This record gives sequence, structure tokens and C-alpha cells, in this order.
Amino acid sequence: MELFIQQLLNGLTVGSVYSLVALGLTLVYGILHIPNFAHGALYMMGGYVTLTAMTKAGLPYGLAVVVSMAAVGMLGVLMERLVFYPLRDAPPLHDKIAAIGILLFLEAFAQFVWGADYQTMPTPYGDVVSIFGLTLTVQRILIIASAVIIMILLYLFLKKTFIGASIIAMAQNREGANLVGINTNKVAMLTFFLSGSLAALAASLASPINLVFPGMGHLVILKAFVIIILGGMGSIPGAIVGGYILGFSESLGATYVSNDYKDIIAFAILVIILTVKPNGLFAKEGR
Amino acid sequence: MKKRKWSILAMMAAIMMLMLAACNSSTTNNNASTGNNNNGGGGGGETGTVNIGYSGPLSGPAAYYGERTLNGVKMAAEEINNSGGFEVNGKTYKLNIVSLDDKYLPNETAANAKRLVQEHQTPIIFTPHSGGVMALQVFNQTDNFIIAAYTSEPKITQTGNKLTVRIPPRYDGYIPTFTDYAMKRFGKKLAALPTATQYGKDWTEKLLPYWEKQGGEVVYKSSIDFTKDTDFFTIVTNALKEKPDVLFIGGPSEPTAKVAKQARELGFKGGFIIMDQAKLDEMQRTIGSYEILEGSIGVMPLIHSDQPGAPEFAEKYRTKFNAEASSESGYNYLALYAFVEAMKAAGTVDDPMAIREHLNEGLKNIPKEKQVYVVPSVGDDGGFESEIVVAAVENGKVVPIELIDK
Repeated sequence: MELFIQQLLNGLTVGSVYSLVALGLTLVYGILHIPNFAHGALYMMGGYVTLTAMTKAGLPYGLAVVVSMAAVGMLGVLMERLVFYPLRDAPPLHDKIAAIGILLFLEAFAQFVWGADYQTMPTPYGDVVSIFGLTLTVQRILIIASAVIIMILLYLFLKKTFIGASIIAMAQNREGANLVGINTNKVAMLTFFLSGSLAALAASLASPINLVFPGMGHLVILKAFVIIILGGMGSIPGAIVGGYILGFSESLGATYVSNDYKDIIAFAILVIILTVKPNGLFAKEGR
Repeated sequence: MKKRKWSILAMMAAIMMLMLAACNSSTTNNNASTGNNNNGGGGGGETGTVNIGYSGPLSGPAAYYGERTLNGVKMAAEEINNSGGFEVNGKTYKLNIVSLDDKYLPNETAANAKRLVQEHQTPIIFTPHSGGVMALQVFNQTDNFIIAAYTSEPKITQTGNKLTVRIPPRYDGYIPTFTDYAMKRFGKKLAALPTATQYGKDWTEKLLPYWEKQGGEVVYKSSIDFTKDTDFFTIVTNALKEKPDVLFIGGPSEPTAKVAKQARELGFKGGFIIMDQAKLDEMQRTIGSYEILEGSIGVMPLIHSDQPGAPEFAEKYRTKFNAEASSESGYNYLALYAFVEAMKAAGTVDDPMAIREHLNEGLKNIPKEKQVYVVPSVGDDGGFESEIVVAAVENGKVVPIELIDK
């Protein structure tokens, strides 16, 4: 039983990271129908910016995370302005190729600026907490708690504020949103900003338990795509639930089936869900 | 909608392939400015250039490792050139390192080697991974070049290839000492969590049978894929529930260190057997202290080594690259010196067979202060027969451990 709960907690930790990454991906997909393959690179940049803010500028961890969220958010906006906006009338394939281009560019950029080596992000929250035979570190509790808080804030923002509602409106119907006077340019930029910030937050939270290196985006990006397909492309609850499903299936699958097959288990779940609900768990109706 | 989903799945598959292939352009990097490939012929007085090839991962996840191996070769070349080059048959030569990126892919290594031999007439090609070495072994004897192989994989010297030189010691030499130490100090239950690479698998397949033969028990066996796992808590939790006394871990130093740290966080009190790919000092720099690594046994870190050339090399490396030296750079540095001495002894810079035949002399002639490692001889199979140096962490300090014979 103890083992089961411990593994649930482990699954919750990785699931939180996955969810945050998938949220950013699904937001962009919902608005612009671009599968942003460069999202993993944004995640990686988030890790590096936080690390640099801590080591070079000497900022405390919390502040560095905020700086990183802002910086990578702006990077997202820049991506939208410089790459995806000019391609808005091009065939959809061009967006995808452009996204791959950005991915390769950012990875090479990171290796050029910060070097290819693994770097360690220090955290003030490294202490171990043991309760009832369960082991967690403060950093892990922080991951889970901040993921939940951010998800609630995001939900409130989208549902309760006017500007958030305009994002939803544009996701539902771009022309309609345009007709009622929503500035689709602004909304697209805002969406990319949110997406970048979420990636930066996820990376900053996860880096202290792993490492910062140019290829770190690969650890999460494929999983994030699985999550948003599983949850329904463009669906926000889908990204959250999907993230936790994947997190739990990995930790419980590794424990009760086999560690070597945990990825197969995750993909088997994807296949089963798509068989039952071909559009994903929370696909929007009526499209 | 449905169609779009499948097209996206297909795109993802395409992306994965792209990621694997990364950007497919190789970068040529000529270090010295000399462009003349004046390899052959006699004619005294003037200076010739010997091109030395290098093909290794210089981009992608293994780039850091590739850079370190290349740094060792470069450093040796620079020193030799700065001291006026070397003399073979009355003619002075300088070294020019031509490095190509193979992204850790054996097929790229092979393509690079063809290019190095055809464009630059390199008699020797350094490559730091077993896959690449095996790819080169297919044609190196016909194309006539020496593979300077930086890999501890024993298989590469068992194929009878006459022009392969294995630089580091074979990893199976570590196993008896590691086993003996860990078993005596901590106990007989072992959980294996090495990296999920071919190299990690080969290591595991050698270690586990030996461990069991010595009366030990393997209570958990799996592997960690450092290219896919964000967090190691899950797998370490599973390993620790079997109550092992010793954990076998390995892979690149930094993520391996994280595994060790997470094991301690989860309450593990035993020792670690650390695969030779990971280095104790680099692990310590990642996690901050040797305390976490108490009871680890692994390869002696170069910066703690007392071999004749080691301290000076570590110091020079620190000034030049602003980083700590590792055995990757040290061994490759030593190897280039050995090859240069062998060229002198053989009286030729472009006959790989003759160079290989005089390598034993070459090893003996390496100046004492350049001997980062003591390698008395090279075996008939092409393996450097170096003394293995093993270290363990005891009371927060790295101490050398006596080898046991088996």
C-alpha cells in the first residue's frame, strides 16, 4: 500500500510537469491549429533562462522563475510575430516545417550560448520530507502545488475574464471572433505568451530534479503530444487530465507491470482511448 | 477532424526521425591554418603537415562528451606544434587536427572517415564510441588508416582488426574489484539501474553473472533511459523496495549523479557501483558533495590521480578550457603523444601499418611528464595495456583502491 501511494505521488509529480507542458501546446493548437513542435525548445529555453538568472544575475529561485516565464513568453510572442504570423495564409504544412526549423534553431542556439554540457539548477527546496513512510522533497511538493495553482488560475482567467474569454472565442471560431470585434492578432500573441510562460514554468520546476541541457526538451515534447491527442487537440481539461493519466500510467506501469515496458503501456492507453473516443477525451463537439 | 489527427501523428513520426537525424550537415573544422597536405615524400628542411582525423559527437545530447575527447587530442597537437613539431627521417612535421561531427551515429562516422581519408589523407582517425569504431572496422584495413578508438568495449579488439587501437582499459577489468569492494563493505544484494544504452547493457551482462558467482544476489534489474526520463523517483522507488545493499548505476556522470541523489533521498543507505562512463568527481560537482556518494566505487578521477603526468595535465586543461579535466581528454591526449612517438620510431608519417607496429616503442618514448596514464605496452589485439586505477569514496574522500587479481 505504501508503495502504491508513493508511486501515485511520483506519478503526480511527473504528471504535473507533463500537464503544464501540454497546456501550452494545446492552447496554441486550439487558437492557431499549429502543432508547435518547437514547444520543447521553449521548455529548454525556460530551463536555461532560469538557471542563468540564478547563477549570473544572482536572483533567488522564485524570482528567476518569474523572469524566465516573462522572457520565454516574449520569445513565444516573437515566434508568433516573426514566423507564424507571416505564414498565416500559407498551407498548414508550412507552419509545421517552420516549427521544426525553430526547434533546430533554438537547440543549436542554446548549445552555442550555454555549451553542450549538463548543468545543475540549485534549489532552495531540496529538503526531504517523510510522512507515513512516504518520501517527497519540498521541490516535488512545490511542483505539484504550483501546477495545481497555475491550472486553477488559468481556468479562472479563461472563463472569468473578458480577455480570457476572447481566447476561447477565437478557439471556437476565428472568423466569428473577428466579426464581433476581437483583435485576433492580440489574442494570438497572448496565447503564445501564455504557452511560452507555461513551458518555462514547467522547465524551471522540473530542472532541479533533473538537469539543464540543450536536449532537455525532448524529454517532454513527445509525451506532451501524446497527451494532447489523448485529451483532445486544443482542449484544456484534456491536457490536464491527459498529463496526469500519462504520469500515473508511467509510475504505476513501471511498478506493477515492468519498467522496461512503461512507454508501451502509455501508448497502449493512447490507442485504447482513441478507439473508444476517436477525437480524444475532451474533444470539442460540433466541429 | 479525424483525418487531421492522423496527419499529425504522421507528422510526429516524421519529427522523431528528423530529431534523430538532427540537421544533417557536417561541420568541418580545421584547427591549424596550414592548408598544404604535404603528407608524403622526403626532402629535408621544410615543414610538413600530418593530418589527424577525428569523428565524434559534436552536436546533440552527447556533444559534451565529444568535445572533451576532442579537447585531449587538440591539446596534445597544440603542445607538439608549439614546441616546433616533431622530426621524422630528418623532416619536421606539424600536426593538424581535422574534426568532423558524427552526432554519435555509426553511419555518419563511416561517412566522415571516408571523407577524412580521401580529402585529408589522415593516417589515424580518432573516434570515441564503440558503434562508430565497429562501423570503421568494416573498411579501415582496405582504406588503410588506424582507428584510435576511445571506448572500453572489449569486443572491438576481439575481431582481429590489425589497425584498431583501443585507448582506455577494457571495462571488464573493473568488475572483480568493484564486486569485491561493494560486497565486502555493504552486502550481497544488488539492484542494477544502468543506462539503457548498448554499452550499459554489455556492462550489466558482465557484472551480474560475476556478482552471482561470488555468492551475491541480484534483486532488481532494469535500466534508465536518460533521453526519456524526466524523473528517476519511480524506478529508484521500485529498486529500493527490494532492499538492495548495493546499487549499480551508470551513464553520463551528471544524470547518474542525480540517480544517486534521488536514491539517497528515498532513504538508500548502501553503496554504489559506478560504471566507468561516469566519473566520481563530475558526479560530485553535480550534486555538491561526496557525502551522497559515500561508499561508491568507480574509476579514479583524473584530477585526483597520482600518475606522473596527471597533475600537470589537469592544471593545463583547467587554464585552457576553464573546466576540470576528465579521463576522456587525458587518454586521448596520451594516445596522440603515443602515435607521434610511434611515427618517429617507424620513420614514416603515412604508413599506418608501420606506425601501428612501432606503437609499443612509441608508448615507451612518451616523455614522463606527458604520461597522464601509465601505459607500458599495447597488446597484439591493439588494446592499450594500462594499469587500471580504481577509487572509492570513504568518509567523504576519494581514496585509491587496490586491484584484486582474477
